[in-house]
Amino acid sequence: MNQQDGDLVYDYPAVEAVLTRHEGKGRAGLLPCLQDLQQINGWLTPELCQLVGQRLNIPIADIYGVIDYYALLYKEPVGRTIIRVCDDIACYLAGSEEVLAEFKKWLGIGPGETTPDGKYTLEVHPCLGYCDQAPMALVNQEIHGHLTPEAVATLLEAK
Amino acid sequence: MAAQTQILTERIGKIDPSSLEEYVGSGGFEALRRALTLSPVDIIYEVETSHLIGRGGAAFPTAFKWRAVAREEARPKYVVCNADESEPGTFKDRYLMEGDPFRIIEALAIAAYAVGANKGYIYIRGEYPLAYQRLAHAVEESRRAAYLGFNVGGSDFCFDIELYRGAGAYVCGEETALFESIEGKRGQPRLKPPYPVTHGLFNKPTVINNVETLANIPPIILNGGFWYRSLGVHLNPGPKLYAVSGHVRRPGVYEATMDLTLRDLIYELAGGIPGGRKLQAVLVGGAAGAFLGPEQLDVALGFDSLHHIGATLGSGAVMVMDETVDLWQVLRRVTRFFQHESCGKCFPCQLGTQRQAEIVARLAEGEIRPGDKALLIDIGLTMKDASLCGLGQTASNALLSACDRFSLLGEGGGQ
Ligand SMILES: Cc1cc2nc3c(=O)[nH]c(=O)nc-3n(C[C@H](O)[C@H](O)[C@H](O)COP(=O)(O)O)c2cc1C
Ligand code: SF4
Ligand code: FES
Repeated sequence: MNQQDGDLVYDYPAVEAVLTRHEGKGRAGLLPCLQDLQQINGWLTPELCQLVGQRLNIPIADIYGVIDYYALLYKEPVGRTIIRVCDDIACYLAGSEEVLAEFKKWLGIGPGETTPDGKYTLEVHPCLGYCDQAPMALVNQEIHGHLTPEAVATLLEAK
Repeated sequence: MAAQTQILTERIGKIDPSSLEEYVGSGGFEALRRALTLSPVDIIYEVETSHLIGRGGAAFPTAFKWRAVAREEARPKYVVCNADESEPGTFKDRYLMEGDPFRIIEALAIAAYAVGANKGYIYIRGEYPLAYQRLAHAVEESRRAAYLGFNVGGSDFCFDIELYRGAGAYVCGEETALFESIEGKRGQPRLKPPYPVTHGLFNKPTVINNVETLANIPPIILNGGFWYRSLGVHLNPGPKLYAVSGHVRRPGVYEATMDLTLRDLIYELAGGIPGGRKLQAVLVGGAAGAFLGPEQLDVALGFDSLHHIGATLGSGAVMVMDETVDLWQVLRRVTRFFQHESCGKCFPCQLGTQRQAEIVARLAEGEIRPGDKALLIDIGLTMKDASLCGLGQTASNALLSACDRFSLLGEGGGQ
């Protein structure tokens, strides 16, 4: 969470606890370990990847291969709040284009971008599995369904 | 509605999904208790008699897998619940996990006992935080009450479950890709054979079943395979969940036997199309499925009945589009989805999904060129024949069915 000029300050006890929890599992510990570390820091810094490599005994190239493969893992800085807007069929039918436009307008960024203050990252996603609540977005772990442009404004004002 | 049932969803909305007491109080874990008094052979016999067919999309008989793994000598063996549900339009597994999480645990324990496994995994879609939370809580509660762990329910059977969260890759729902993902690798499908029943997770004999498939197990154990087989349609028996979305008044998950018609699902259960508008198209089976038109409303939503008209039930997703929809915008999303989710392991799919998406994006802008239809058919058939896994094999289904059904690029055209 705390990031100053590329000089990262981690919650080291938490990082250590995660590494200890997963290090005995070999490769099967890799994905959960990366997920848990990302939970702490928001994204997987080179230093964290190095630590994972050492403790789980996995080549660094393999670790990056895995991170690159999965949409939910990040090896670049992302906003503290990640907004994932669904733009798949059911959400499109219910007006996701207007919802997405409102997010863009409010945040002043496009999909795949992060606001300069590091608060928000905006992403467009295929079906997120909440089509009965279309159009919807996942805001970090929160589900926001039946969105309208007005609801988007209210949501962001409250944050 | 004659076809509507409340078997899989019997507890949903009626009990507190985080309460083990309420689960047990409503008959929960009775099937596991009963199973533990039976021999594994008898359990598999019941499942075979039931004629339960997998609900994850591939429509494979469940007992067949269970028996194959039960017969394997290699140890350890694993049971895996596929909860990666990422087919566009599909949210029925989420509904089950959020609403009745203990049921999945109970069913997986029965599967493990039947095939001789002591360890199970549930691989849950990364974008399902609530389902993960509920299952994690249910696993802890079950351990505390000794429904998981050593000597399950006082028997000799030992079984525990580990939860995995997916990390945002559709193809990880493919069974062998899912194994690769748990093993800490890039989640790409393996070449089959060998099949999971001999070389599955960690290369050990593995049963992998969909969430909804497993949800059918407790009632089969309690009421018997013959009871189950008498429900609904011959050869496609038992309840099915349908996830309905798009232009209907009441989108949601509906449970019915597979004699339910598309018309009844849309107009009775889901309340019909709002605003008095007319139906234009229905995408059945998700992005990997096929389009149906208003003339097909009387088809029954079963594996065989849909197969007969060149469609597929797939995951049970039903997306409804009214007359105002520009189908090209929908197809653009379908093809973009496959382009985005192709894992790139085999060329027909890697290249085919890209070309297909590019052509459709151009068509959606209204720029049609002669020979487009022939080209799309050519790409589609190549992917169908030559792709390694189901993703590439089905990536052209929706597009080609729409072109056919609605003559989007003119009659005949390519072939
Ligand atoms: C690209 C692709 C994605 C899949 N996604 C899922 C999924 O999300 N959930 C699922 O249960 N099965 C999925 N499957 C099917 C699985 O490979 C497998 O057949 C299924 O888990 C078996 O369970 P069942 O026999 O109970 O249906 C997918 C298959 C392919 C080819
Ligand atoms: S068909 Fe597509 S998703 Fe499947 S293995 Fe080949 S490239 Fe990967
Ligand atoms: S289409 Fe948006 S959640 Fe399914």
